[in-house]
Amino acid sequence: MSQVKKQWRSLEELTQDADFLSRVEQEFPLLGAALAAPRDRRQALALMAASLALAGAGLGGCDGAPEGDLIPAVRMPPGIVPGMPDYYSSAHIEGGYAAGTVIKHFMGRPIKVEGNPFHPASLGATSPIAQAELLNFYDPRRSWGVTQANLPRSRSALEQALGEQRDKLAATGGAGFVILTGASTSSTLAAQLGALRRSYPQIRWLHWEPIGRDNVDKGIALAYGARLELKPQIQNADVILAIDSDLLSAAPGHLRIAREFAARRNPTRAKMNRLYAIEATPSLTGAVADERFIAGPRETHRVLLALAAALLGGASVEGPPWLDRVISDLKANRGRAFIHLGPDHAPEAHALVLAMNETLGGRGAVYTLLDAVTHASSDDSLSLATLVADMRAGRVNALLIIDSNPVYAAPGALNFVEALGRVDFTLCLSATPNETTAASLWVAPMVHPWEGWSDGRAFDGTASLMQPQALPLYQGVEPYHLLGLLLRPDPPKNLDLVRQTWKDQLGATVDDAWINALAQGVIPNSASPASNRPLRDDAARTRLPEPSSAATVLLFRPDPYLLDGRYADNPWLQELPRPLSKISWGNPLLISPARARELSLTNGDVVRITVDGVRMTTPIAIAPGQSDDCFVALLGFGRRRAGPAGQNVGVDFFELTGRSCGAPDIQKTGATEELASTQRHATMFDEGGVYARSGALSQFLADPEFLRRSDEPLPSFYEWKPEGPAAWGMSIDLNACIGCNACVVACQAENNIPVVGKTEMLREREMYWLRIDRYYDGPPESPRVNFQPVLCMHCEEAPCEPVCPVGATMHDAEGLNVMVYNRCIGTRFCSNNCPYKVRRFNYFDFADEERRAIQSRNPEVTVRARGVMEKCTFCLQRIAAARIVADREGEKASAVVTACEAACPTRAFTFGDLAAKGSEVAARRAGPLSYALLAEQNTRPRVTYEAHIFNVDKPKETQK
Amino acid sequence: MTLFQARSALGVSADDRRPRANDPIVAPEQTISTMTAMICAPPLREKWPLWWKLSLAAALLLVVILVIAIVWLFYAGVGVWGIAWPVVWGFAIINYVWWIAIASGGTFISALFYLAEVEWRNALNRIAETITIFAAACAAIYPVLHLGRPWLFYWLFPYPNVMTVWPQFRSPLLWDFVAILTYVVSSILFWYFGLVPDLATMRDKADAPHKRRFYGVLALGFRGSENAWRYYRVGYGLLAALMAPLVISVHSIVGLDFAGAATVGWHSTQFPPFFVFGALLSGFAAVMLLAIPVRRLLGLEAFITGRHFDILGKLLLTSSLCVGYAYLMEAFTTFYGPDPAEKRLFINKIAGELSPIYWATILFNVLTPQLMWWRRVRLNEILVVLISLAVIAGMWCERYVIVVMSLRRTHLPSAWGGYTPTIWDWLTLFGTVGLFIAGLLIAIRLLPAVSMFEMREVILRNARRDR
Repeated sequence: MSQVKKQWRSLEELTQDADFLSRVEQEFPLLGAALAAPRDRRQALALMAASLALAGAGLGGCDGAPEGDLIPAVRMPPGIVPGMPDYYSSAHIEGGYAAGTVIKHFMGRPIKVEGNPFHPASLGATSPIAQAELLNFYDPRRSWGVTQANLPRSRSALEQALGEQRDKLAATGGAGFVILTGASTSSTLAAQLGALRRSYPQIRWLHWEPIGRDNVDKGIALAYGARLELKPQIQNADVILAIDSDLLSAAPGHLRIAREFAARRNPTRAKMNRLYAIEATPSLTGAVADERFIAGPRETHRVLLALAAALLGGASVEGPPWLDRVISDLKANRGRAFIHLGPDHAPEAHALVLAMNETLGGRGAVYTLLDAVTHASSDDSLSLATLVADMRAGRVNALLIIDSNPVYAAPGALNFVEALGRVDFTLCLSATPNETTAASLWVAPMVHPWEGWSDGRAFDGTASLMQPQALPLYQGVEPYHLLGLLLRPDPPKNLDLVRQTWKDQLGATVDDAWINALAQGVIPNSASPASNRPLRDDAARTRLPEPSSAATVLLFRPDPYLLDGRYADNPWLQELPRPLSKISWGNPLLISPARARELSLTNGDVVRITVDGVRMTTPIAIAPGQSDDCFVALLGFGRRRAGPAGQNVGVDFFELTGRSCGAPDIQKTGATEELASTQRHATMFDEGGVYARSGALSQFLADPEFLRRSDEPLPSFYEWKPEGPAAWGMSIDLNACIGCNACVVACQAENNIPVVGKTEMLREREMYWLRIDRYYDGPPESPRVNFQPVLCMHCEEAPCEPVCPVGATMHDAEGLNVMVYNRCIGTRFCSNNCPYKVRRFNYFDFADEERRAIQSRNPEVTVRARGVMEKCTFCLQRIAAARIVADREGEKASAVVTACEAACPTRAFTFGDLAAKGSEVAARRAGPLSYALLAEQNTRPRVTYEAHIFNVDKPKETQK
Repeated sequence: MTLFQARSALGVSADDRRPRANDPIVAPEQTISTMTAMICAPPLREKWPLWWKLSLAAALLLVVILVIAIVWLFYAGVGVWGIAWPVVWGFAIINYVWWIAIASGGTFISALFYLAEVEWRNALNRIAETITIFAAACAAIYPVLHLGRPWLFYWLFPYPNVMTVWPQFRSPLLWDFVAILTYVVSSILFWYFGLVPDLATMRDKADAPHKRRFYGVLALGFRGSENAWRYYRVGYGLLAALMAPLVISVHSIVGLDFAGAATVGWHSTQFPPFFVFGALLSGFAAVMLLAIPVRRLLGLEAFITGRHFDILGKLLLTSSLCVGYAYLMEAFTTFYGPDPAEKRLFINKIAGELSPIYWATILFNVLTPQLMWWRRVRLNEILVVLISLAVIAGMWCERYVIVVMSLRRTHLPSAWGGYTPTIWDWLTLFGTVGLFIAGLLIAIRLLPAVSMFEMREVILRNARRDR
């Protein structure tokens, strides 16, 4: 704010400022010339107002207004039909790895992210983060101007400064120049960095991720002596052992892995696989495991040793009692068994597990090793710690930080910001102002990934192109352009760079192939070839580092949605209830029930935690199923310089990272802080089984209908027969649901569902049309988790309908329970009468209060006003679009895919016409596991569930 | 003449003001003229004592708060209240049911006992009916405030409109809207119709011309001719015959607002009679609570006697026993029925974190009124006031239990929630209390507090009997 004030303190002064004029000239050439000419104050003011309006409009303004007259389009641009959406492929990059997306546009404006079915890492699904990227794109807080020492500068000034660096680079051969950026799979970036090294041999670059997979990569290097990529092929695995694993939530290719995993979870359709999980803190993988064992870091160490002894030979090690069963199951399934180790374990442990996997004989079947997909740092010895040491020692005189936020996310012990101050030239390229931009000398706005040409590779190496979805909204600079400026003053265009990278791959008919690759979103045959490099002999003899001897350790885990904090500004991701805790807008320290009892703590109690002399206060939350040997801190919160959604929300545990983790000291302060959670009642045990039904495979095999035996069809006073051509319905497979929340964000994006913020969340006024209920079954120390997505059931005998005094909620001919927003007067009786409680009420004008670009909303869906009830519509707008197509083609509407169904990585949702012969939804509904939620209410819901079967022999005693 | 001179003129000592067991319905020394003079005196007085001014000022302050609360509500939206999810109904509905139940007492005493030709009701019906109309007015505000879009409340009317949409006739809320509207309109008519002969008396007694004009206009030209009386009697009887079933229907329908829903804790066939019992209990309590200070302050000891205390106390006790029966049946049907959610809710009510509210309901509505078994208690003004107050509070707690505690515990445990009223909830509640008290104070300031023409009949009949 202050620099803006300074900037506009005197208009006359400004019009004399060469920098300002050159900036204006760049953006509005005619205006620049007009301003430079001497004129009276009044005229100058009028011009300034015009330039402000143009610059301030942001979304309306584009690079360089045309000279001469503006002429309205007599014919529409080709391909754009007003009111019809367009789709352009792109990719979502997470930790460097790409997952294909398709961006839906209305009249040139991106409004929704869908998965790319042609992309191997997406298969049509998206992660919640990919969905939420839309808000990042439209974020009104994005950086829009170049600054030097926090003062606005022109782009030419930046180019001049980079020119000086170029001269220096030429003189020194690149010594002392470091480029710091995140993990990358972009071949274009790799080519460019290669070119830089050719010109300046001593230049260095570091691919650094705050939450990286270094351990995995190093482990592979230890085991195989080369940089390789491990690609799980879970569809072939009969037995999976996941140790502190992120296989289903964050591992590269997790969407595909989840699809492959879930494809073998429903015993009515496939032979079930079996998943064992061993973990310290509950994860999505542990939540869906058939058997989950809790082990703290020290016990996991013993487990790894015992596993190694059993599988690789050597002196036998006494493991926990349950381990023998797991080991014999792994051994019995040689060639179809797979062990996955999470990225938090040491490289040595990874090497050992890789050796075990080789012994289990699954290579080529349940996993393959590929040539490395990610780009390597300039030299192996370079790490963030050595970089900081170099910076301190004055061996770095220029640091270029591209799309990375080390001031916030570097381990607190490194004190990165202090080291940064010792570098003469620092340039930070960032899409939004953050902690690092505040500490850098030069700051340039970066384009959003949707605003420029780029590429990225999937976990299996398949490359995809990222094309601009819009002209840069905030005059962002492309990273390639910036790097290009280090080579020469007039770098080639991005598009040319990217095309150049893939020219050889695309073959002779390069133009057609390029267009096809853009249309499909993938470059054909670009997957990495399988490597047949053998395991090193000594890999099986790798010695594990001793675990911390402390009784209790502090573990750090990334927040599942904010990751390393880069999405802290995204309100959709902030508000999204975390899958297990259901907490949003905060990251309380997770404590096991027994430790909480010991310290007499309850949810929301504030504790003081001291690690290595560093102290901070944080609220706690009890995590059922967590090991007593650890506390878990979620990273990514507590941003000090972020937008209104992210600033000072939660606690920044990065402060505590990188320190010698002795036992953390936890002291109760007596204060409490309210936690915003969507499941507020005291956590229920044992009763969830009535709602999210589950049972053992053995029970299913004995009697496939054992979970629906008690549901008797009840008589109805009014028999309602749908008259319409279609009978829309949905079946949700609880065997497939992994609780990832992709459907929830997809629904939010599709249906313009507002974010309400923490205060309203605390007052229980969240607006989600689709929620994922989480039920615990069994003792708090080690419960079984059941996820259950709940949305409007579109009951045939809907209780909400007769109680509305004005008839604002009605049935349509195809069995949809529709909500007439205009007619609603807000008695809220429908919500009282809904047994599923899926209706949401606009207590305030939530949609209007959202700080959200109006262009980002789905124009097909009404934005609801204050005082109106709303709920899931089965994506009525999509059904309507299908009806229009059907009318035109003279057929029955079919093939409607709801937003939740489209986003779901595991195909838990099946939507369709129950009346259509052979429809998948009708088949699933007729399956032996199918049941209706609260069937005794006789509401005849159009949504049914398939009960959750665990691949275990013994039913739980609590099972009803 | 000061307020209390009339009484001292009749030689009533302070000690005699206490109700006694063997009191007749009217003090035997009363004649028609002394009675008329006593009843007419307060409204015709120029100056009113300090207690009246102070209480009116306090009540008006609350009315101002009510206005502020409503303006803020309309400006900001119903989100200013504590309602949330799944508890989407809160104070507005609690207060609405509470007020409408308080209103029932007047109608019941006035209409039903009129039809039964019960003599003692004549001394109380004016006060009771005044309670009714102001309590009903307070109740009627709430359903509109409750709406998310209150400016569209008229969509509940089945009126011909360009949208060609009718309201939904299956909805209990529509029945409720019709029932309340009918009830409020007929209560006002009944009250006003019953006032007409007395207004004529006032017109005749008033000295100042402006007062004469005021009462004259209101008396609608009633002159006490034989014909006028004949038609009047027929009309009043018809209205009473209409009102008596109305009081039953309105509370049954309020009960159906809940019972008509499939919500846990509401879906019960006993709700309509249960709500009628509850209404009678709070109605009688409200009449006793307010008749006692009015009797003292306006010097009506000669007309509201120990007899009335005795009868009202017994009525309160009876209705309390009915309510107690309903509570018992609620527990019985819950555990006799098959629904686990109902059982879970009931256990939560009696043993959960809000169980004090449930037990307060039982204590105030069932246990405390049992003191009325003793005549000594029924005749003790302070105890009666305290018991009535307890019942009024208890009935509010009962509605809190029904509305909030039921909604908190729905079928799916995943959707359980809480409810915390905000300052605006409380201010609106207190505001309507202010509105109610201000209405009563203004009414006793302007209108005769006892139905004179009906008292005359009682006195005449007594005199005839004595002869």
